[in-house]
Amino acid sequence: MIGKARSPLARIVPLALGIVVFAAGCASNAPQDTLDPAGPQAKQIDNLIMPVFGVAGIVFVLILGGAVWVGLKFKAKDDDDFNEFPDQVHGHFALEIGWTIVPAVILALVGIFTVITIFDLAKKPADAITVEVTGQQWWWQYRYDLNNDGSFDEIVTANDLVIPTGRNIALRIRSNDVIHSWWAPRLAGKMDAVPGRTHPLTIKAPEAGEYIGQCAEFCGLSHAEMRIKVVAVSPEEFDAWAEAQQAPVENPTDEAAIEGWKIFAGTCTSCHTVRGMNDPGAVEGDAGPETSTTPFEYPEAKNQLANKLARQLDQGTGLPDLTHFMSRSTFAGAKFDLRKNTDACNALGLNWATTDDGLAKCLNRADLEAWLRDAPSMKAMHPGETMAPDSRGMPNFDLTEEQIDQLVAYLITLK
Amino acid sequence: MASADHTDHGLVTSTGVSNEKLGMWVFLGSECLLFGGLISSFLLYKNRSGTSSLHERPHDLYDLAFTSISSFVLLMSSLTMVLAVSAIQRGELRNTRVWLGVTALLGSIFISGQVYEFKEFLNAGYGFTHSPAWSAFFALTGFHGVHVSLGIVMLLSAIGLTLTGRIGRGQAESVEIVGLYWHFVDVVWVIIFTVVYLIK
Amino acid sequence: MATTDGTLALGPGVDAPVRPMGVFARPGSTPGWRGWITTVDHKRIGIMYGAAALFFFLIGGVEALLIRLQLAAPEGKVLSADLYNQVYTMHGTTMIFLVVMPIGASFMNYLLPLQVGARDVAFPRMNALSFWVFLAGGIVLNSAWLLGGGADGGWFNYAPNNGVMFSPTHGIDFWNMGLIITGISSLVGAVNLIVTVLNLRAPGMTLMRMPVFVWMSLVTQFMLLFAIPVLTSAQFLLLFDRLFGARFFDVSQGADPLLWQHLFWIFGHPEVYIMILPAFGLISEMIPVFARKPIFGYPFMVFSGIAIGFMGWGVWAHHMFASGMGPISVAAFSVATMFIAVPTGVKILNWLATMWGGKLRFDTPLLYSVGLVTMFTIGGLSGVTHAVSPADTQQTDTYYIVAHFHYVLFGGALFGFVGGWYFWWPKVFGYKLSEFHGKVNFWILMVGFNLTFGPMHILGLQGMPRRTYTYRDNYGFNFWNLVATIGAVIIGISFLYFFWIIWKSWKDAKAANAVLSGDPWDARGLEWMIPCPAPAHNFDVTPTVTRLDDFWHRKYAEDESGRLIRVAETADVSMKGDGTGVHLPSPSYWPIVLASGLPFIGWGLIFNLWFCLLGGLIVITGIYGWVMEPADDPEAGHGHEDDHPSDSDDSSAAAEVAAPEEAALVD
Repeated sequence: MIGKARSPLARIVPLALGIVVFAAGCASNAPQDTLDPAGPQAKQIDNLIMPVFGVAGIVFVLILGGAVWVGLKFKAKDDDDFNEFPDQVHGHFALEIGWTIVPAVILALVGIFTVITIFDLAKKPADAITVEVTGQQWWWQYRYDLNNDGSFDEIVTANDLVIPTGRNIALRIRSNDVIHSWWAPRLAGKMDAVPGRTHPLTIKAPEAGEYIGQCAEFCGLSHAEMRIKVVAVSPEEFDAWAEAQQAPVENPTDEAAIEGWKIFAGTCTSCHTVRGMNDPGAVEGDAGPETSTTPFEYPEAKNQLANKLARQLDQGTGLPDLTHFMSRSTFAGAKFDLRKNTDACNALGLNWATTDDGLAKCLNRADLEAWLRDAPSMKAMHPGETMAPDSRGMPNFDLTEEQIDQLVAYLITLK
Repeated sequence: MASADHTDHGLVTSTGVSNEKLGMWVFLGSECLLFGGLISSFLLYKNRSGTSSLHERPHDLYDLAFTSISSFVLLMSSLTMVLAVSAIQRGELRNTRVWLGVTALLGSIFISGQVYEFKEFLNAGYGFTHSPAWSAFFALTGFHGVHVSLGIVMLLSAIGLTLTGRIGRGQAESVEIVGLYWHFVDVVWVIIFTVVYLIK
Repeated sequence: MATTDGTLALGPGVDAPVRPMGVFARPGSTPGWRGWITTVDHKRIGIMYGAAALFFFLIGGVEALLIRLQLAAPEGKVLSADLYNQVYTMHGTTMIFLVVMPIGASFMNYLLPLQVGARDVAFPRMNALSFWVFLAGGIVLNSAWLLGGGADGGWFNYAPNNGVMFSPTHGIDFWNMGLIITGISSLVGAVNLIVTVLNLRAPGMTLMRMPVFVWMSLVTQFMLLFAIPVLTSAQFLLLFDRLFGARFFDVSQGADPLLWQHLFWIFGHPEVYIMILPAFGLISEMIPVFARKPIFGYPFMVFSGIAIGFMGWGVWAHHMFASGMGPISVAAFSVATMFIAVPTGVKILNWLATMWGGKLRFDTPLLYSVGLVTMFTIGGLSGVTHAVSPADTQQTDTYYIVAHFHYVLFGGALFGFVGGWYFWWPKVFGYKLSEFHGKVNFWILMVGFNLTFGPMHILGLQGMPRRTYTYRDNYGFNFWNLVATIGAVIIGISFLYFFWIIWKSWKDAKAANAVLSGDPWDARGLEWMIPCPAPAHNFDVTPTVTRLDDFWHRKYAEDESGRLIRVAETADVSMKGDGTGVHLPSPSYWPIVLASGLPFIGWGLIFNLWFCLLGGLIVITGIYGWVMEPADDPEAGHGHEDDHPSDSDDSSAAAEVAAPEEAALVD
């Protein structure tokens, strides 16, 4: 029955496949499209699955076509005598064996290529930059080990994963609270971040650009807004960025910024860190701000459950490290743009905030201020009581408009 | 619980095994998987005794001699259970009651031993909430303890029913079914004893 | 006793019943609602399973529509993030445990005893218990909506997100209690139905003469028997963690969250086959009737089902390809998963081969059967693409997976069930559902179903993760989400239409007042030997079976050239439903009493342990009453067992005869 049907079907198969692939692949703007792989890992997966999609498509058309064809061909006519019966066929041994073995052989072939790919993708990359990826409710933290010596460099970022093009990046994926899954579809398949475990994943970006993704394992309230942005830049640009990330932050000089600095030290540091920040309290009195170099003592962070787990698991802090905050393009788990998402601003790249002009043009001040004004209304979180053991996410601190302006003035000094 | 004059003897089933007995076998098949889940959890967690200063594992603390004796007691109860079944099949109600009673008593000794052991661990600071290893230990042995206790209730009920005449020679199979359950619980203990106490 | 001599008349000496043992009297035949809550009749229990499942289907359906409305456009505002997470979790849990599983149980309860030629199940009271416990579990699960909100961790509720730290409301406790209770129901049901199939087959019905549906049900029940306790053990660990401070999933103390995943999926993968195999069985019964040919390759149908049953245990970790198990486990489970497609493929080709060369009468049941064959094929093929585990790391937890399992469970299981409803409706209720409306409804449902779930393949491959309460405008997700929402509305309409069809068909049948023959489809199984609707006592005389499709072969025989010729009029080989002296198990209050204690234990563990005491007392009372209950109603006489079960008053007098002391049926 299949033999007769083959010739027209042979024309339909590529057409049907083409429609599906077209619909999925050529959607106007799909930054997370798995059918548009960019990195070698994602491409390897794509090369493996495309023939399987093809075979599956052929089988589907054969079965569906077969069912429709059998249905039409053997449909009883209205005037048929129901006391005349078709041949009472009970079965056919050779056929049964045949359609047991043929699929088994096809699947075994697929299985061989699958197993090869599994072990290929699991290989440890040589000469990679190691980045520790830590999932937390509901944002990602990245710590870098540039020279791969097993100890982390002073680079801790959130939301944006900056990587050099053309180089393997060995991600070591962990979690501070519940299970998350790190997934940038155009670079590689997803890998779960399981608390208490470290999972490897290798990515490589052949071209500069942004690769979008998001958390793929349900992780609670704001799972939908736990986003991922991989920013691939040229190796030179990356080296410059890495150097800048390790530079100490400078004391603010602007008056409003100094006020914001104080608010930050008083309110924000129970959760957020700015490495190398000085104590604003030391500038009180006659000494000018430029002389205040007493290292800031961070209060014991104890309001975050994530912190509690993180300390036990030795995995860094509980909320985003804000050192060099203004080198990022997003905030709040990459839910909001820090750098306005316009072509002109995106063209400024990592250095968008280093010039006053860039800052003035590209800072998404509206969302940042709204976030400081009332974060819980901006993103679904469990802020709870600030010191409650199960609180997660940033609470509303009831800041005045003046304080918000001062805080923003301070934050934009964290270049 | 069929009445005296309506026993299962007259019933012919497709397999030749009575519904009740087959049902118990099928049910015990399911129980295997329940204990399988708990035993697997224990095997995964046996060495994860937490991060506090109290971090002894279950097999660092128990008294092997003590548990061996109580295990032996439980195994012996399987023997007395066999004697009880054989007694009722011969229609010796008095002997049946005696052997059922001895079985229940041996089971109770085992349970007492388990309670004592649990108390020792609690006194040493290792409770159900201590760490994954101890949670798994108490869950596994505790579930088994509950099964033994339910078995004792069944044995006592059977004694009661022989006293009121509701179980007689014609209902030997009821006792046999209780026996099936009891042997199963014993066999599971052999596995638990091996996994928890013998394998380091 | 007299179960196998074919007459079912009481043997001598039992005519004068002595008052049997027992402290509590047993209710006699009771009319009205009391008849339903005390019934131990497998047919009534089957009907109640179906009705309860349809009720929960409405709840789950409303939840589904809420999900689709929220996702109709980017940045939807219908539900908050919190409420969305509860709604999708409860939708999945409800549809799996309170809809698909009990609809399967409904068919099995109703049909298994009829198809094996038994008078009832092996343990009728336990059968009633199974239903009431299921209902209790469903109530506990859904009571969450009234008592603080539903579970919010997804239907597989991964640890540690299911812990009290991360999900501090009681939603997951209700989920936990509800499913432990429905698990008890499944376990009781599994023991009962396995024993029924193994022990109560009519004389001559060997295993290889059992209908395919009986085989698939048997495999299903064995899988339930072994899968449910694994879930229960995992749920007990979670219960101890959440309510009593145990450390099974406390990562800071060294626990491993993957323990939950392994235990859950060791249950969860067999569960998939538990849901689909009954529907496979149903269409294996329907297709031959409408093709007017025997099932093609009966032994292969049976053995492929058994093979699925076994292989279903070796593939659970394919749900965890992104969990970081390491390449060796991933490779092993990947290959194992591929081969489970083989027996399923055999089934599909056998169904097509059954249709091949037949004389296809496209009545509604056949439409739905062919719907299952084609739609399930799509789900099966996308399943093979998941087995390619590197690709699965791109697909898992996206809408591609959502599409896959809806094609399996909706396009597969539910299509089979709806077809089954059309097919067996006359046997159960004595009237046919409208063929015309049934066909129209099929096409509406088919369109709605494919509009809803077809686009989800594309959405998933475009990278839309599942379980997200919102999505962004510029990610290319808008169009297909809108299409899916439109499809969901069409599905909703088509089920409202279905309910209307039931009402309309009932009304027309009542107006026409025609008596339906016992065999309206010219069908094959033993259940068509008896009148429509099936009388309470099933068979007047226990049939003796000589071959597969015995009833068919009583009507037709093959001549030398293999042509079928009619050898007897249907009416002549059918039973009249006027059997006398048939002994049925008496109704009982205790199953519902026992079951009603369980929710209090569940709520008590959550809120106040005193409720547990109350629940425990009710359960103990139930068990005591159960044990002390006389095996039969001593007041009931034996005699003419009239007609079918009916809760209308006029038949109650006739139903006064439910007769005692059938040892085979006394649990």
